[in-house]
Amino acid sequence: MEDREIVDLYWQRSDRAIAETEQKYGRYCRTIAMNICGSNEDAEECVNDTWFRAWNRMPSERPTVLSAFLGCITRNLAINTIKAKNRIKRGRGEASLALEELSECIPDGRSPEKVLEEKELEKLIGRFTADLKETDRTIFVLRYWYLVPVADIAEKLHCSQGKVKSSLFRTRKKLREALQKEGLYWTN
Amino acid sequence: MDELTLLRAMNGIHEEDVVMAGKLYFNENTVRKTSKRIFTLALAAALLLALGAAAYAVWSVHISRQQDLRSDLKIEENNASSYMEYDVTQQEKAGSAASLVLLSAVNDGTEQRIYVDVSPVAKENIARFPADVRFAWSIAGTEIGGFAGPQLPVSLSLSGDEAIRNAVLDYAYDEETETLTLQCYADVKFIEKAMSDLGTDSVPLQVHMIVGENDSHTFGPVPFKLTDEQTRSFDFGPAQYHDKELNKTIEIVGLELTPFSAVWKVSYEGAASFHTPEADQAAYEPWSMLEDKVCIETKLIFSDGSEFSTGGALTTPYENGTVNQFCGWGSAINIDDVQRIELGDLVLWELKAADEEMPRQAQDQQQ
Repeated sequence: MEDREIVDLYWQRSDRAIAETEQKYGRYCRTIAMNICGSNEDAEECVNDTWFRAWNRMPSERPTVLSAFLGCITRNLAINTIKAKNRIKRGRGEASLALEELSECIPDGRSPEKVLEEKELEKLIGRFTADLKETDRTIFVLRYWYLVPVADIAEKLHCSQGKVKSSLFRTRKKLREALQKEGLYWTN
Repeated sequence: MDELTLLRAMNGIHEEDVVMAGKLYFNENTVRKTSKRIFTLALAAALLLALGAAAYAVWSVHISRQQDLRSDLKIEENNASSYMEYDVTQQEKAGSAASLVLLSAVNDGTEQRIYVDVSPVAKENIARFPADVRFAWSIAGTEIGGFAGPQLPVSLSLSGDEAIRNAVLDYAYDEETETLTLQCYADVKFIEKAMSDLGTDSVPLQVHMIVGENDSHTFGPVPFKLTDEQTRSFDFGPAQYHDKELNKTIEIVGLELTPFSAVWKVSYEGAASFHTPEADQAAYEPWSMLEDKVCIETKLIFSDGSEFSTGGALTTPYENGTVNQFCGWGSAINIDDVQRIELGDLVLWELKAADEEMPRQAQDQQQ
């Protein structure tokens, strides 16, 4: 079923909406949740909550890209889950590794922290990512949006893990510079 | 700010970038494409006078496709002499290719790209592409074959099956004659093996359309010969490139350049061991970064001052004492017009007057 038809089902408050979403995007959302949580049980809960949130957000919203809309909900729910369970840095999922990597991006500094609204930071990240070369962008998005393990990215892109790691290293370095330019520093 | 905030802020990544990466990861199909097709109406009109309308319809599609390819791949603009175009009218007359017509081919050293028209392909099959319809090529009488796909102009990114289908209809399919233009991706080694197995110079090329799980349609075969490659080799000495940040030195041995691809040959201590399945990835990482740097940051500078980067390598096998980094791209570059090759402050090669033109460490060995 086309995305537009699935969205129509939500707008019509049809019972089939969730079944069709599950059929088309179940694996997609489950993978995102599993990458972050590292636990089948938590991932399943996130996916079920995703359908519930989607049901509540439509019809007031009409997503243009259903996969990104659903994936974003799942991603946020999964991050909340590991945070709530205090597993953020000792979880089995990729989140702990990704966070460790991302900590490299945040400049050290003593100057007063510039308070940036999360939305502004999101915009900065969006611009930064869009300016990357295509391969670096794909690798960066897979690693830090989908939290895909490095080995899996390498397999998908038919290249060595070293290539993926070096691309991520370069991009993190650039991101650090971009954040530094904005005057963003550690708060803890 | 902390790293969790940063992780959350990744939500700001543009939707289309998330979708593109997701498509790749979740194994769906993505295709790239760019510019618009150009039809040469004058030639079409002349042909219309010379031929009957029915025959014209088919031939004009083949000829128009050849023009599109030449333009999109920048063949004339960049003197890509290795690009070979076939006489489509002769193929029609020979009656050897009622359903498979060779349009053109280019040998980029490691890969032979073959552009063909196949017909008839019903529009309903295009509607089922790419989910339920696939294309492949093979050499009749052998087990050699590979992937084929609709030929779309290079450099335009498409996302989603529907966008791909629409692009195929717009750029690769002619509804009136039910003709579809495909590109066959053939490893040169495979074709050579087929030639050896069959004991002939030309091989019987055929194309298959696989509909659903079991339904297969075969187009051809037509005789096909490997086309000549156009290569320019640069021997850098080797040149030593030292990266201060990584505190490592890599030897840049040489570059083999074709209009559509490049092989960077590099060497460093322990390179052989890093290109095995058991390689120590942590130890390899800085070397991998240096390998990337050579491919991505080295500039080829042309006579008009424009610059070109070969981009990241697709494969990096260790062969004959060097790491051979294979890079490829869509449209041709003019390899005869390269004036200078530099990586940061290191000039690997520069065109100068007469015998003094060779750089300290490198010399050009144009073939």
